[in-house]
Amino acid sequence: MATTSKQYKAIGEDIWKGRTEKINAELFALTYGALVVQLIQDYEDYAEVNKQLEKMGYNIGTRLIEDFLARSAIGRCADFREVGEVVAKVGFKSFLNITPTVVHAAPPPPSPSRSSNPPHSNTAGASFTLTLDENPLAEFVELPEEALEGGLWFSNVLCGVLRGALEMVQMQVQATFISDVLRGDETTEIRVTLTKYLEEEVPVGDD
Amino acid sequence: MSHHLFLLSPSDTPLYNLTHYSSKPAQPTSTSPLASNLPSWSTSAFAGTLTALSGATSATQAHHVQGGTVRIGGGQDRHVIQMIANASLDVIEEVVRKESIMYLKSVDKFNEWTVSAFVTPGNMKFVLLHEARNDDGIKTFFNEVWELYVKTMLNPFHTAHTPIRSPVFDARVRASAKKYL
Repeated sequence: MATTSKQYKAIGEDIWKGRTEKINAELFALTYGALVVQLIQDYEDYAEVNKQLEKMGYNIGTRLIEDFLARSAIGRCADFREVGEVVAKVGFKSFLNITPTVVHAAPPPPSPSRSSNPPHSNTAGASFTLTLDENPLAEFVELPEEALEGGLWFSNVLCGVLRGALEMVQMQVQATFISDVLRGDETTEIRVTLTKYLEEEVPVGDD
Repeated sequence: MSHHLFLLSPSDTPLYNLTHYSSKPAQPTSTSPLASNLPSWSTSAFAGTLTALSGATSATQAHHVQGGTVRIGGGQDRHVIQMIANASLDVIEEVVRKESIMYLKSVDKFNEWTVSAFVTPGNMKFVLLHEARNDDGIKTFFNEVWELYVKTMLNPFHTAHTPIRSPVFDARVRASAKKYL
Protein backbone atom coordinates (compact mmCIF):
# COMPACT_ATOMS: atom_id res chain seq x y z
CA MET A 1 0.00 0.00 0.00
CA ALA A 2 1.77 3.10 -1.20
CA THR A 3 1.69 6.13 1.00
CA THR A 4 -0.46 8.76 -0.62
CA SER A 5 0.54 12.34 -1.10
CA LYS A 6 -1.94 13.42 1.54
CA GLN A 7 -0.37 11.10 4.06
CA TYR A 8 3.05 12.49 3.29
CA LYS A 9 1.74 15.99 3.89
CA ALA A 10 0.29 14.91 7.22
CA ILE A 11 3.56 13.29 8.25
CA GLY A 12 5.47 16.42 7.35
CA GLU A 13 3.05 18.60 9.27
CA ASP A 14 3.34 16.40 12.35
CA ILE A 15 7.10 16.46 12.38
CA TRP A 16 7.14 20.24 12.01
CA LYS A 17 4.67 20.69 14.83
CA GLY A 18 6.49 18.17 16.98
CA ARG A 19 9.77 20.01 16.84
CA THR A 20 10.45 21.71 20.11
CA GLU A 21 13.34 23.83 18.89
CA LYS A 22 12.46 26.29 16.19
CA ILE A 23 14.43 29.34 15.17
CA ASN A 24 13.17 32.83 14.43
CA ALA A 25 12.82 33.19 10.69
CA GLU A 26 14.35 36.65 10.55
CA LEU A 27 17.39 35.55 12.48
CA PHE A 28 17.78 32.59 10.15
CA ALA A 29 17.49 34.72 7.04
CA LEU A 30 19.88 37.36 8.36
CA THR A 31 22.44 34.71 9.35
CA TYR A 32 22.33 33.07 5.95
CA GLY A 33 22.49 36.45 4.21
CA ALA A 34 25.52 37.47 6.22
CA LEU A 35 27.15 34.15 5.33
CA VAL A 36 26.60 34.63 1.60
CA VAL A 37 27.85 38.22 1.68
CA GLN A 38 30.97 37.15 3.55
CA LEU A 39 31.65 34.39 1.03
CA ILE A 40 31.32 36.90 -1.76
CA GLN A 41 33.81 39.19 -0.08
CA ASP A 42 36.24 36.34 0.51
CA TYR A 43 36.12 34.64 -2.89
CA GLU A 44 35.13 37.57 -5.12
CA ASP A 45 34.01 35.11 -7.81
CA TYR A 46 30.35 34.22 -7.98
CA ALA A 47 30.87 30.82 -9.57
CA GLU A 48 33.22 29.92 -6.73
CA VAL A 49 30.69 31.17 -4.18
CA ASN A 50 28.05 28.94 -5.76
CA LYS A 51 30.41 26.00 -5.45
CA GLN A 52 31.20 26.73 -1.81
CA LEU A 53 27.53 27.10 -0.92
CA GLU A 54 26.86 23.75 -2.54
CA LYS A 55 29.74 22.15 -0.66
CA MET A 56 28.46 23.54 2.63
CA GLY A 57 25.03 22.23 1.79
CA TYR A 58 26.50 18.81 1.03
CA ASN A 59 28.04 18.63 4.49
CA ILE A 60 24.76 19.69 6.06
CA GLY A 61 22.81 17.16 4.00
CA THR A 62 24.92 14.18 4.99
CA ARG A 63 24.09 14.87 8.62
CA LEU A 64 20.54 16.06 8.12
CA ILE A 65 19.38 12.79 6.59
CA GLU A 66 19.96 10.95 9.87
CA ASP A 67 17.79 13.40 11.76
CA PHE A 68 15.15 13.15 9.09
CA LEU A 69 15.01 9.36 9.01
CA ALA A 70 14.94 9.18 12.78
CA ARG A 71 11.99 11.53 13.10
CA SER A 72 9.96 10.54 10.10
CA ALA A 73 10.38 6.75 10.27
CA ILE A 74 9.60 6.60 6.57
CA GLY A 75 10.66 3.39 4.87
CA ARG A 76 12.52 2.89 1.64
CA CYS A 77 11.08 4.70 -1.35
CA ALA A 78 9.89 2.45 -4.15
CA ASP A 79 11.21 4.60 -6.95
CA PHE A 80 12.70 7.99 -7.72
CA ARG A 81 9.26 9.45 -8.16
CA GLU A 82 8.46 8.66 -4.57
CA VAL A 83 11.77 10.17 -3.53
CA GLY A 84 10.64 13.45 -5.04
CA GLU A 85 7.33 13.32 -3.18
CA VAL A 86 8.94 12.58 0.17
CA VAL A 87 11.59 15.28 -0.27
CA ALA A 88 9.02 17.92 -1.08
CA LYS A 89 6.20 17.05 1.27
CA VAL A 90 8.02 15.67 4.27
CA GLY A 91 11.60 16.88 4.00
CA PHE A 92 11.13 20.54 3.17
CA LYS A 93 8.06 20.74 5.38
CA SER A 94 9.71 19.38 8.47
CA PHE A 95 12.83 21.55 8.24
CA LEU A 96 11.76 24.79 6.56
CA ASN A 97 7.98 24.65 6.94
CA ILE A 98 7.47 25.15 3.21
CA THR A 99 5.95 22.69 0.74
CA PRO A 100 7.38 23.09 -2.75
CA THR A 101 5.37 21.62 -5.60
CA VAL A 102 6.91 18.66 -7.40
CA VAL A 103 6.86 17.95 -11.10
CA HIS A 104 8.28 14.60 -12.18
CA ALA A 105 10.02 14.00 -15.47
CA ALA A 106 10.89 10.65 -16.95
CA PRO A 107 14.43 10.27 -18.18
CA PRO A 108 15.05 10.94 -21.86
CA PRO A 109 14.44 7.74 -23.88
CA PRO A 110 17.57 5.74 -24.75
CA SER A 111 18.73 5.73 -28.37
CA PRO A 112 16.84 3.25 -30.58
CA SER A 113 19.84 1.00 -31.17
CA ARG A 114 20.02 0.17 -27.45
CA SER A 115 17.63 -2.00 -25.44
CA SER A 116 13.96 -1.57 -26.00
CA ASN A 117 13.10 -0.93 -22.36
CA PRO A 118 10.83 2.07 -21.95
CA PRO A 119 12.16 4.75 -19.60
CA HIS A 120 11.39 3.86 -16.01
CA SER A 121 11.39 6.11 -13.05
CA ASN A 122 14.34 4.28 -11.64
CA THR A 123 16.77 4.67 -14.47
CA ALA A 124 19.48 7.22 -14.52
CA GLY A 125 18.27 10.50 -15.88
CA ALA A 126 14.97 10.50 -14.03
CA SER A 127 14.37 13.84 -12.45
CA PHE A 128 11.94 15.98 -10.55
CA THR A 129 11.64 19.74 -10.28
CA LEU A 130 10.80 21.49 -7.04
CA THR A 131 9.06 24.84 -7.32
CA LEU A 132 9.41 26.96 -4.19
CA ASP A 133 6.82 29.69 -3.84
CA GLU A 134 8.46 31.05 -0.77
CA ASN A 135 12.07 30.88 0.25
CA PRO A 136 12.80 31.57 3.93
CA LEU A 137 16.50 31.96 3.18
CA ALA A 138 15.92 34.91 0.92
CA GLU A 139 13.61 37.19 2.86
CA PHE A 140 14.46 40.85 2.35
CA VAL A 141 17.21 40.03 -0.13
CA GLU A 142 17.79 42.11 -3.24
CA LEU A 143 20.70 41.08 -5.39
CA PRO A 144 22.99 43.89 -6.58
CA GLU A 145 23.92 44.24 -10.25
CA GLU A 146 27.26 42.45 -9.96
CA ALA A 147 25.66 39.43 -8.35
CA LEU A 148 23.08 39.22 -11.10
CA GLU A 149 25.69 39.41 -13.82
CA GLY A 150 28.04 37.04 -12.01
CA GLY A 151 25.43 34.32 -11.91
CA LEU A 152 24.99 33.95 -8.17
CA TRP A 153 22.43 31.37 -6.99
CA PHE A 154 21.67 32.80 -3.57
CA SER A 155 20.10 29.68 -2.06
CA ASN A 156 22.54 27.20 -3.57
CA VAL A 157 23.05 25.61 -0.17
CA LEU A 158 19.71 23.86 -0.71
CA CYS A 159 21.09 22.04 -3.74
CA GLY A 160 24.00 20.81 -1.68
CA VAL A 161 21.70 19.61 1.09
CA LEU A 162 19.68 17.58 -1.41
CA ARG A 163 22.79 16.05 -2.94
CA GLY A 164 24.34 15.18 0.43
CA ALA A 165 21.20 13.74 1.94
CA LEU A 166 20.34 11.58 -1.07
CA GLU A 167 23.90 10.32 -1.37
CA MET A 168 23.63 8.92 2.15
CA VAL A 169 20.66 6.84 1.02
CA GLN A 170 22.53 5.43 -1.93
CA MET A 171 21.43 7.80 -4.66
CA GLN A 172 23.83 9.95 -6.56
CA VAL A 173 22.02 13.02 -7.83
CA GLN A 174 22.68 16.36 -9.38
CA ALA A 175 20.71 19.25 -7.95
CA THR A 176 20.80 22.65 -9.61
CA PHE A 177 18.77 25.82 -9.69
CA ILE A 178 16.83 26.44 -12.87
CA SER A 179 15.37 29.83 -11.99
CA ASP A 180 15.23 32.19 -9.03
CA VAL A 181 12.89 35.08 -8.27
CA LEU A 182 15.85 37.00 -6.84
CA ARG A 183 17.28 37.01 -10.35
CA GLY A 184 14.06 38.35 -11.80
CA ASP A 185 12.62 35.01 -12.95
CA GLU A 186 8.99 34.06 -12.44
CA THR A 187 9.61 31.17 -10.07
CA THR A 188 12.29 29.58 -7.96
CA GLU A 189 12.97 26.04 -9.21
CA ILE A 190 15.45 23.32 -8.35
CA ARG A 191 15.91 20.33 -10.65
CA VAL A 192 17.13 17.10 -9.09
CA THR A 193 18.39 14.51 -11.58
CA LEU A 194 19.31 10.94 -10.70
CA THR A 195 22.77 10.00 -11.90
CA LYS A 196 22.91 6.46 -10.56
CA TYR A 197 22.14 4.26 -7.63
CA LEU A 198 25.16 3.60 -5.47
CA GLU A 199 26.12 0.05 -4.59
CA GLU A 200 26.51 -0.78 -0.94
CA GLU A 201 30.23 -0.82 -0.34
CA VAL A 202 31.81 -3.12 2.17
CA PRO A 203 34.21 -1.16 4.34
CA VAL A 204 37.79 -1.94 3.50
CA GLY A 205 39.68 -4.41 5.68
CA ASP A 206 36.70 -6.05 7.29
CA ASP A 207 38.01 -9.58 7.30
CA MET B 1 3.30 71.70 -5.21
CA SER B 2 6.55 69.95 -4.62
CA HIS B 3 8.07 68.03 -1.78
CA HIS B 4 11.68 67.25 -1.14
CA LEU B 5 12.62 64.30 0.99
CA PHE B 6 16.08 63.68 2.39
CA LEU B 7 17.23 60.64 4.32
CA LEU B 8 20.30 61.34 6.44
CA SER B 9 22.47 58.97 8.41
CA PRO B 10 23.33 59.66 12.06
CA SER B 11 26.48 61.34 10.85
CA ASP B 12 24.42 63.55 8.53
CA THR B 13 25.55 61.82 5.34
CA PRO B 14 22.80 62.04 2.73
CA LEU B 15 21.67 58.53 1.88
CA TYR B 16 18.69 59.17 -0.31
CA ASN B 17 16.73 62.08 -1.68
CA LEU B 18 13.57 62.42 -3.64
CA THR B 19 11.67 65.27 -5.23
CA HIS B 20 8.00 64.67 -5.54
CA TYR B 21 5.57 66.84 -7.42
CA SER B 22 2.18 66.42 -5.87
CA SER B 23 -0.87 66.51 -8.03
CA LYS B 24 -3.09 67.36 -5.09
CA PRO B 25 -4.46 70.89 -5.13
CA ALA B 26 -2.36 73.28 -3.13
CA GLN B 27 -3.70 74.58 0.16
CA PRO B 28 -4.92 78.14 0.06
CA THR B 29 -1.61 79.67 0.97
CA SER B 30 -0.11 82.42 -1.04
CA THR B 31 0.92 81.10 -4.37
CA SER B 32 4.22 82.17 -5.68
CA PRO B 33 6.14 81.45 -8.84
CA LEU B 34 8.07 78.87 -6.88
CA ALA B 35 5.08 76.54 -6.89
CA SER B 36 5.74 75.66 -10.49
CA ASN B 37 7.78 72.67 -11.60
CA LEU B 38 10.11 74.36 -14.04
CA PRO B 39 13.63 73.11 -13.58
CA SER B 40 15.34 76.00 -15.29
CA TRP B 41 15.63 78.56 -12.58
CA SER B 42 17.33 81.89 -12.85
CA THR B 43 18.61 84.19 -10.18
CA SER B 44 15.26 85.89 -10.04
CA ALA B 45 13.81 82.74 -8.52
CA PHE B 46 16.08 83.03 -5.55
CA ALA B 47 15.22 86.66 -5.28
CA GLY B 48 11.62 85.54 -5.35
CA THR B 49 12.23 83.41 -2.29
CA LEU B 50 13.50 86.39 -0.44
CA THR B 51 10.60 88.59 -1.30
CA ALA B 52 7.91 85.89 -0.89
CA LEU B 53 4.94 86.98 1.11
CA SER B 54 4.11 83.96 3.24
CA GLY B 55 4.63 84.18 6.91
CA ALA B 56 7.39 84.49 9.35
CA THR B 57 10.87 83.29 8.75
CA SER B 58 13.06 82.11 11.52
CA ALA B 59 15.28 85.10 11.49
CA THR B 60 18.53 83.45 12.46
CA GLN B 61 18.10 80.77 9.82
CA ALA B 62 17.37 83.33 7.13
CA HIS B 63 20.46 85.30 7.91
CA HIS B 64 22.53 82.17 8.04
CA VAL B 65 21.22 81.16 4.66
CA GLN B 66 21.70 84.54 3.07
CA GLY B 67 25.23 84.76 4.29
CA GLY B 68 26.04 81.33 3.06
CA THR B 69 24.89 81.46 -0.49
CA VAL B 70 26.80 83.16 -3.20
CA ARG B 71 26.16 80.71 -5.97
CA ILE B 72 24.55 82.80 -8.64
CA GLY B 73 23.89 81.24 -11.96
CA GLY B 74 21.11 79.21 -13.44
CA GLY B 75 19.57 76.24 -11.67
CA GLN B 76 20.46 76.80 -8.04
CA ASP B 77 16.99 75.90 -6.93
CA ARG B 78 18.53 72.61 -5.89
CA HIS B 79 21.11 74.45 -3.82
CA VAL B 80 18.46 76.47 -2.06
CA ILE B 81 16.58 73.36 -1.12
CA GLN B 82 19.68 71.66 0.19
CA MET B 83 20.65 74.70 2.19
CA ILE B 84 17.28 74.83 3.81
CA ALA B 85 17.45 71.15 4.67
CA ASN B 86 20.93 71.45 6.12
CA ALA B 87 20.04 74.52 8.10
CA SER B 88 17.21 72.69 9.77
CA LEU B 89 19.49 69.95 11.09
CA ASP B 90 20.57 72.08 14.03
CA VAL B 91 17.00 72.68 15.03
CA ILE B 92 16.22 68.98 14.71
CA GLU B 93 19.08 68.04 16.97
CA GLU B 94 17.95 70.51 19.59
CA VAL B 95 14.45 69.12 19.62
CA VAL B 96 15.72 65.55 19.73
CA ARG B 97 17.84 66.33 22.74
CA LYS B 98 14.83 67.60 24.64
CA GLU B 99 12.07 65.22 23.62
CA SER B 100 12.19 61.63 22.51
CA ILE B 101 9.38 61.41 20.00
CA MET B 102 9.89 60.22 16.48
CA TYR B 103 7.71 62.48 14.40
CA LEU B 104 8.73 66.10 14.93
CA LYS B 105 6.14 68.09 13.15
CA SER B 106 7.43 71.18 11.60
CA VAL B 107 10.75 72.15 13.04
CA ASP B 108 11.60 75.00 10.79
CA LYS B 109 10.11 77.39 8.32
CA PHE B 110 11.91 79.25 5.61
CA ASN B 111 9.72 81.68 3.69
CA GLU B 112 7.25 79.37 2.09
CA TRP B 113 9.08 76.11 2.80
CA THR B 114 8.22 74.20 5.94
CA VAL B 115 10.60 71.57 7.16
CA SER B 116 9.17 68.52 8.87
CA ALA B 117 11.39 65.91 10.40
CA PHE B 118 11.21 62.34 11.61
CA VAL B 119 13.97 60.76 13.66
CA THR B 120 14.16 56.98 13.88
CA PRO B 121 15.32 55.11 16.97
CA GLY B 122 18.54 54.42 15.08
CA ASN B 123 19.10 58.16 14.75
CA MET B 124 18.36 58.32 11.04
CA LYS B 125 16.85 61.64 10.10
CA PHE B 126 14.13 61.94 7.50
CA VAL B 127 13.73 65.56 6.45
CA LEU B 128 10.83 66.69 4.31
CA LEU B 129 10.52 70.14 2.77
CA HIS B 130 7.02 71.07 1.81
CA GLU B 131 4.97 74.10 1.12
CA ALA B 132 1.56 73.25 2.50
CA ARG B 133 0.31 71.89 5.80
CA ASN B 134 -0.42 68.19 5.70
CA ASP B 135 0.43 66.83 9.13
CA ASP B 136 -1.51 63.58 8.96
CA GLY B 137 -0.44 62.72 5.47
CA ILE B 138 3.16 63.52 6.23
CA LYS B 139 3.10 61.50 9.43
CA THR B 140 1.76 58.44 7.60
CA PHE B 141 4.26 59.00 4.81
CA PHE B 142 7.15 59.13 7.26
CA ASN B 143 6.00 55.94 8.92
CA GLU B 144 5.85 54.16 5.59
CA VAL B 145 9.26 55.41 4.59
CA TRP B 146 10.53 54.14 7.93
CA GLU B 147 9.15 50.66 7.24
CA LEU B 148 10.64 50.62 3.77
CA TYR B 149 13.95 51.78 5.18
CA VAL B 150 13.95 48.97 7.76
CA LYS B 151 13.30 46.43 5.02
CA THR B 152 16.20 47.83 3.00
CA MET B 153 18.47 47.60 6.02
CA LEU B 154 17.60 43.90 6.36
CA ASN B 155 18.98 43.21 2.90
CA PRO B 156 22.33 41.51 3.50
CA PHE B 157 23.77 43.20 0.43
CA HIS B 158 23.15 46.66 1.81
CA THR B 159 25.83 48.20 3.99
CA ALA B 160 24.57 50.39 6.79
CA HIS B 161 24.82 54.15 6.31
CA THR B 162 25.67 53.96 2.64
CA PRO B 163 23.57 55.63 -0.06
CA ILE B 164 20.45 53.65 -0.85
CA ARG B 165 20.41 52.77 -4.52
CA SER B 166 17.83 50.02 -4.58
CA PRO B 167 15.31 50.60 -7.37
CA VAL B 168 12.68 48.70 -5.39
CA PHE B 169 13.02 51.10 -2.46
CA ASP B 170 12.87 54.06 -4.83
CA ALA B 171 9.73 52.82 -6.55
CA ARG B 172 7.98 52.13 -3.26
CA VAL B 173 8.86 55.49 -1.75
CA ARG B 174 7.54 57.22 -4.86
CA ALA B 175 4.32 55.25 -4.67
CA SER B 176 3.94 56.13 -1.02
CA ALA B 177 4.58 59.79 -1.77
CA LYS B 178 1.91 59.73 -4.42
CA LYS B 179 -0.52 58.25 -1.97
CA TYR B 180 0.03 60.51 1.00
CA LEU B 181 1.47 63.76 -0.26
